[in-house]
Amino acid sequence: MITVSRLTKRYGRHTAIDNLSFEVQPGEVLGLLGPNGAGKTTALRMITGFLPPSTGRVRIDGFDLYDNPLEAKRRIGYLPENPPVYPEMTTRRFLEFVAEIKDVPARQRAAAVTRAIERTQLGEVEHKRIAKLSKGFKQRVGLAQAIVHEPKVLILDEPTSSLDPKQRVEVRELISGLRGTQTVIVSTHILAEANEVADRVVIIHRGRVMAVDTPASLAQRLQARDVVIAEIHRGAGADDPAGAFDSEVRRSLAALPGAARVEVQPRGEGPGRARVESAAGTDLRGDTAAAVVLRGWRLVGLAGETLSLEEIFLALTGDDGAPA
Amino acid sequence: MRHALAIARREIRSYFVSPVAYVAMTVFALLSGFFFSNMLVYYISQAALADQQIQKIGRSDYQLDVPTVVLGEFFKNEAMVVLLVLPLLTMGLITDERRKGTLELLLTSPVRAAELVAGKFLAALSLFGVMLLPTLPYYYFLARGGEWEPGVVLAGYLGLILLASTAIAVGLFVSSLCENVLVSAFGTYGLLVLLFFIDTSTTAVRSLWSDVVGYFSVYVHYLNFARGVLRLGDVVYLGTIVTLVLFLTERTIEAIRFKRS
Repeated sequence: MITVSRLTKRYGRHTAIDNLSFEVQPGEVLGLLGPNGAGKTTALRMITGFLPPSTGRVRIDGFDLYDNPLEAKRRIGYLPENPPVYPEMTTRRFLEFVAEIKDVPARQRAAAVTRAIERTQLGEVEHKRIAKLSKGFKQRVGLAQAIVHEPKVLILDEPTSSLDPKQRVEVRELISGLRGTQTVIVSTHILAEANEVADRVVIIHRGRVMAVDTPASLAQRLQARDVVIAEIHRGAGADDPAGAFDSEVRRSLAALPGAARVEVQPRGEGPGRARVESAAGTDLRGDTAAAVVLRGWRLVGLAGETLSLEEIFLALTGDDGAPA
Repeated sequence: MRHALAIARREIRSYFVSPVAYVAMTVFALLSGFFFSNMLVYYISQAALADQQIQKIGRSDYQLDVPTVVLGEFFKNEAMVVLLVLPLLTMGLITDERRKGTLELLLTSPVRAAELVAGKFLAALSLFGVMLLPTLPYYYFLARGGEWEPGVVLAGYLGLILLASTAIAVGLFVSSLCENVLVSAFGTYGLLVLLFFIDTSTTAVRSLWSDVVGYFSVYVHYLNFARGVLRLGDVVYLGTIVTLVLFLTERTIEAIRFKRS
């Protein structure tokens, strides 16, 4: 449905997007994952025809975006990072305008707008000025304008950033609801979000593709090590100096089979926090708990830690994490 | 060009939900009325003076065709009002779309840049048309000063509309280059004043050069209309300027996207 081939964008000597290629199958939700400044927005702007690439091609449903822009654009719904709305218009008027410039036939326009309003649950603010809407509603208006002409291809640039957690969940559910009927590219810098909504993930960093895979196998591949975080209390009556306790914790946890690295952060009178790293696939949670209890300490908390996106990028790029 | 009408309709609506349209219309009506009544009173008193002289000494240097003189002076002044008011109506046309991010919506829709330019131009020109409506009752008062010729009035309005089209096209062009509305307004004022009065740089000595430069003055061409003279050359000249500037605007909008944003 979407074919991106060797897309490159240069600004002078700076290359913002370098040789980006991927395909999206009909009905698939593709996550475009990368840290801020990776080039996600630039890539999406080229795929929607807003920004012409330096080299490379984009095909939407068989139409070349640069040779046949009007046909290709008719098939695209696009929600940029900031919803493109006219604040002085009411929600319905605005959507009617969008339907008109997106070539929805005049007789079907009212029905198309009503359907978009229903799908994005905008009924209560239909006749309100967009300027008066909350951020969450504005974002939904942005989503409604992207789907009002029932495009085959939907492109969403960080649709959940700047929303509160509840609104995030709503928007994610909305996107998940589109799966199967529409082909979607959604960009995000949150790994968990990509995991939740995407069938497949493209990771980009500094304008280059780092990995293309399903979220599950990507996480597996990238899980270079397991981490256990244990919160440990000395227990009642113990009166040995704090420094001694910390080093004893470190010593006993480092002795666990498979433990690669142990860090301990003392927290005064409260529980200390120990971080145990091990090779991938060895779950040390049980062993850690047993070791702590055996010493007569109190185990106050225990958790496995998932890799953050930053750590995944480090793993992928061998980068020192300098600002991109 | 269907999209052009949709864009024009949306733009006109947004003019009228903000105070801009009302303020512009009020200022335009007040200034026009002020100039018109001043001149009408002045020339009618001049004519009365001439009548007295004719009665006393049988002749007068002040022999006046009041309606024609008033119309000429009135349309000259309207050019200044256009120059003052229109850049404020055009400054945001593209600049605001860029600022709000809605340019991204328009340019990722199946809309040609030419349709966008045409829609914006039509919107501003329509608003100017509405602004002209309060000047229509003037001709009732003019009729009391003597016989007036509708042809002179029509030529004047045609000139005024062509002049406004030039101002709108230039304003639209500057707006497509700017990301700040004030920069857009100032740029438009600068370019328009230059385009209107380029002839004044050469009036001291008449030469081939002064004739050529003088020919490029929009105001000089407009003066013919204001005098009630309809010449094909003037229509073609102003029409060409408008078309050329609109074409440049269309090219600029296409090129905006090549810039880093």
